[in-house]
Formats: sequence, structure tokens, C-alpha cells
Amino acid sequence: MSVDLLKMFACVLAVAACTPGERPTEAIEGGESLPQVYAVNYPLAYIAERIAGESVTVIFPAPPDADPAFWSPTAETVADYQRADLVLLNGATYAGWIPRATLSRSRLVDTSAALADQLIPVDDTVTHSHGPGGDHSHQGTAFTTWLDMKFAAGQARAAFDALVRLRPEMEPDFRGRLRELEKELGELDKRLQDVAGRIGDRPLVFSHPVYQYLVRGYGLNGRSVHWEPQEMPGDEQWRELSDVLSTHAAAWMIWEDEPLPDIANRFERMGIESIVFRPCGNRPAEGSFVSVMLDNVVALEQAFPASAL
Amino acid sequence: MRDVVYLAWRYLVYNRWKSAILITSIMLIVYLPIGLNVVVEQSAEHLTARAAATPLLVGAKGSPLELTLNSLYFSSENPELIDYSEATLVAESGLADAIPLYVRFHSRSHPIVGTSLDYFSFHNLSFAAGRPMAVLGECVVGATVAESLGVKPGDAVISSSETVFDLAGVYPLKMKVTGVLDPVFTPDDDAIFVDVKTAWIIEGLGHGHQDLARPEAASGVLSRTNDNIVANASVVQFNEITPDNADSFHFHGDLAGYPLTAVLAVPKDEKSGVILRGRYTDDDANSQIVRPVTVIDELLDTILTIQQFIVAAVIIVGLATIATAALVFLLSLKLRRREIDTMHKIGGSRGRVASMLLAEVFIVVMMSGTLAAAITMVTWRYGPGVIESFVLA
Repeated sequence: MSVDLLKMFACVLAVAACTPGERPTEAIEGGESLPQVYAVNYPLAYIAERIAGESVTVIFPAPPDADPAFWSPTAETVADYQRADLVLLNGATYAGWIPRATLSRSRLVDTSAALADQLIPVDDTVTHSHGPGGDHSHQGTAFTTWLDMKFAAGQARAAFDALVRLRPEMEPDFRGRLRELEKELGELDKRLQDVAGRIGDRPLVFSHPVYQYLVRGYGLNGRSVHWEPQEMPGDEQWRELSDVLSTHAAAWMIWEDEPLPDIANRFERMGIESIVFRPCGNRPAEGSFVSVMLDNVVALEQAFPASAL
Repeated sequence: MRDVVYLAWRYLVYNRWKSAILITSIMLIVYLPIGLNVVVEQSAEHLTARAAATPLLVGAKGSPLELTLNSLYFSSENPELIDYSEATLVAESGLADAIPLYVRFHSRSHPIVGTSLDYFSFHNLSFAAGRPMAVLGECVVGATVAESLGVKPGDAVISSSETVFDLAGVYPLKMKVTGVLDPVFTPDDDAIFVDVKTAWIIEGLGHGHQDLARPEAASGVLSRTNDNIVANASVVQFNEITPDNADSFHFHGDLAGYPLTAVLAVPKDEKSGVILRGRYTDDDANSQIVRPVTVIDELLDTILTIQQFIVAAVIIVGLATIATAALVFLLSLKLRRREIDTMHKIGGSRGRVASMLLAEVFIVVMMSGTLAAAITMVTWRYGPGVIESFVLA
């Protein structure tokens, strides 16, 4: 009888020990109270997911067919950003809607702030003036920063610091995952440097002016036009390309995505090889940021194989 | 005893004018010092509560009182302006959170407060309907504004021009109401909150206009080169920010130089607050940091000094009034000598006649006291609001 009583007492103690108030970790991990981290582009969302894992909810609300650099969220989506515990910004004037939105500055983290001296200004804008305000222009900064893997690693470290401030108890885990990510980005950087070494000074043409950090980071000799891979360029654009090629005899065109077959064929006839290097600003249909970058590196390696040296 | 009270009451009713004057005089003498005290104490409590809840204010060098009244109560003249960089400076010091304030414009009589989202959480303001402003051109209204203008989320309010003669200056901006705050019985009830950038657009520092590179803007273009377009003042500028034209809104130059009336600094802890205050002790600095509670205490000290003078004067007048009232009663006794003799002759004892006279005095004093208490209660309910609006005006 006394043994039964002891068992009952033990059961009561066990039940008492399992009250929700004493299991905050599970309540956080299993419930809806995980901190919310919003990102302004996919690379930052990926970095946050890689570093924080399941410890936070990472949200990147841009529609899959939008370019997050030029996407403008609705007021309701901005209201969602307002509720975030942390908003990861790319900086470098990326996401032009940010200055027009009302967001709590204490929750914003500019992941390229520490690298501000490495940003590339863009000065191809038109100045205008009206009224008494004098001349002004809306020039900006090249923003596809993550195409330089060293820059991407710097942004990952800034995201890590912000995530640790959000969940300081997870720092050892986060640090371990950051090291893994840095290692992968470092390997990509090494392979890009190797292939860039093989490319050397050979001229390249980029289909879109978004490769500034790739060009600078790996010492490429590239010039840009403003083409869309899924739109047949007009006569004016072909003439513009001819002008570029007259002084910059490129045999390779780097595209954001697979160009239309007609475009690729015409390039082939011109003796220009098309290479796809996806900037991956938005979430890819398949794979991840690192796998897409790996595909990009492989595409370059195939176009400029080591054996060709 | 009831007969004594009855006779006293009948006497007072019969001599109603004399009784009314006596009751009013005594009532005023009782009420004035107590009522004044209630008003001052409650006003002080009201003013101090908001000031005490606001740790530090950073503003341009000048009148601390003006800075405090403008920032906390959205009243008084506009203080000198500081740059937005001051807010960044406070935030980046790591010592305090910085909430920018730009309180300059109005919609009808309601102040438009340019600030950030942190203002709502700092003052524990909750939403009765809708949500905070999310993009340029959206606003949140206080409970009183919603009631007086009859607006709700989805409606619009329009900022008022600063002056009708400033044709090149501030244009009215139509702002969409996205939220209505719960009443909190502070100046926040009477305010319209916008993002500080929206306040800059009201001022004309940021604007949206036709794309000058497009054909429809051609009539406004004076000259055009490859990298420069000069337009005249006829370029259409938008006075409402909609999803269609929101992307065209922009600011020229560095936002760090844009104006604020104050920065509300919320230190991480007491030590951080002290360190932050220490950074503004330089006499050559263009900005100052003030503790609103100190400023309001100084204001109240002045008011209390005046109150003490008034109370002293009231006490002297009160003593004179009591002496006069006593005289009235004594003279009344002389005038009523024959009446008192008649009472004795018909059998009234000395004690009962004296009781009746005392009952008259007692009734007069009681009625005066009751009236004074009633008016004090009214003062307690409505007085501070009246005095506060008078002080803040």
C-alpha cells in the first residue's frame, strides 16, 4: 500500500514538473513565439536560415517572379515587416521601398554597413532640377553585393551578430553554423578566383548592370548592356552591343538566366558564347543560394576549363 | 429640538436675500483656497506625470520650457530645429533609444506629430482600430481627433497650409488614416501621428512628381541634355501619396541634415542617461539635453509661488469676511431684540431662544460648506483641464 502511495506521489511530482510555465524552451520552439526575421532579399533570408536554423522564423515575402531590388511591398506587407523582431537589410540602396516605409530603426540591421567603404557608387543617372531646389539626381549604389563571396561572408557576419542579439542563448550553435557557411562561401570564392585567373583580361559582356561586385571582386574585364534574357532585343539594343563589341571584343556574354534560343543562336553565329550566372536575388525554384552560386561557378569553369590553359 | 430648527429655517427663508449673501460669502471663503489647491495639485500631477514618463529630450539650444511643452504637449511656439543626425547620434551612442519628433504642422487645430513607430510603444498607445502607419502618406489619429473629425481607418485628413501667402511653401498633403488610438487622456488623444518622413514631405523637403523623362512632362521641361533635365515650377507635384505614385516620392540630399524639433531619448539605464547628459554640457554645442520633469517642476514652482500669494490673500479676505459675518449676526441680534423679547414673553426659555439663533448660524455654515464641497468636486473634475489648456496655450 505504501509503495502505491509513493508511486502516486511520484506521478504528482512528475506532472507538476511538466507544467508549461517551466518549459519555456519548448514553448518557444514549438509555438508561434519564435522571433520573426524578415529579409529584403533571398541571399539574406538564406544566410539567416543557415545561421539560425529553426531558432527563428525567417520570412522573405517578395513574390517569386519579382526582382526584390525593385519590388514595392503593399502597405499590409510593410505592416508585417513592422511586426518583425529583426529586419535584415542589404544596404547599398537595395530595396528602394525601405526609405518610404515606416519601420522601427531599432529592428533594422544593415548587413553591409560595416563594409560601406567597399560599396560601388553608380553614376549613370540623369540630373534634373525644378523650382528653387536646384539640381539633383537619384543616383545610387551598385547593390548586388553578394556576388563577391567575401562581401557575402561579411554580410553573413553582420546577420550573425544581429541574430545573436535576438537569441543570445543560441550563440554557440549560431557560431558553428556561421563557420560552416563561411567555409562554403570561402570555397566558392576560391573557385571563382581560380576561374577568374583563367579568364584573365579577356573581355566579357554582362547582360545586365548587376555584376559590379563580381567584376571588382575577381578582377574581371567586363562591360554591361541592359538586356533581358526572355525578351528579344530591339535593333537599338543590337546596335548598342555592336558599339560595345567594337572596343571590347568579348567572346562571352554572361546572362542572368537562360536566354531565348533565338538570342543564343544569333550569339552563336556571332561567335559569342552565352554563360548563365544567376544573381539569385529571389528564391530559386530549385536549390539554394549556395547551390545556385555553385552552378554559376561550374558554368564559368566549363566555359574556361583549366585544361584550356 | 425640531421646533428650534424649524423656526431657524423659517427665519432664514423669510430673510432669503440676507441668508443667500451670507451663505455665498462663507462658501467662497471656504472654497477658494481649497479649490485653488485642488486645481494646482491636479494640474501639477497631470503635467508631471507625462514629464516624468519622458526621460530626456534633445533639442536645439534655447528655451528648455518651449522644447518640453512642444515635445510633450505639442503646444507653444515651434522651438529651434535640430538636424536628424542628432537622432542618429543618440541611437549610435548605444546609451539610449532615439525617437525623433517633428511637431510643426497641423490639420485644422490638431498637431501633426512626425515620429517613428517606437513612439507608440514608448507611450503604451494601443489601437482601437486599424494599424500603425506603414508607408509615406499614412497617418494614425488620436481618439479625440477621430471623434471630432469623424474619421476612421480608410478615411483621409489633410494637413493645413502654414500660411495662405506662402504659395511656394507648404502644400496641403492628403493623408490616409490607417489607425485610431485608444483614448489615453493625454495630448496624444488630440494628435495626428505620421512618419517623420511624411512630415518632411508636408514641408516640401521630399516630394513626388512626374517623371521628367516621360513625354507628358515635356511642357514643364525647360532644357534637356544627356545627363540633366531642367524643368520649370509647373511640374506636377503630387499632393497625395498613392500606391501608383509612391515610387516617385524621394528626398534630396542627405537626410541627416533634415529638421527635427526634438529627439526623445530613452536611456538603457540610469547610468547611460547620466553619461548621455554629460555629452551635452559643452557651452558651444548647438543642442541641449533636458530632463522634462525638471523643466515642468520649475514651471510648477513658479505656479506654486503664485498660488501661495493668492492663498495668503484669500485667507486675509476670509478673515475679513468672517469678521463681517460675525458683525452681521451681532447686528441682526440687536435688530431682532423685540422679536427675541416676544419669544420670551410667549414662554420661550433663554436656552431655547439661544439654540434657535445658533441653529441659524449652523444652517448657514452647513449650507456654505456643502456648496463649497460641491463646487470643489466640480473643480476636481474639470478644473485641471481648463488650467492645463490655459498654461499650455
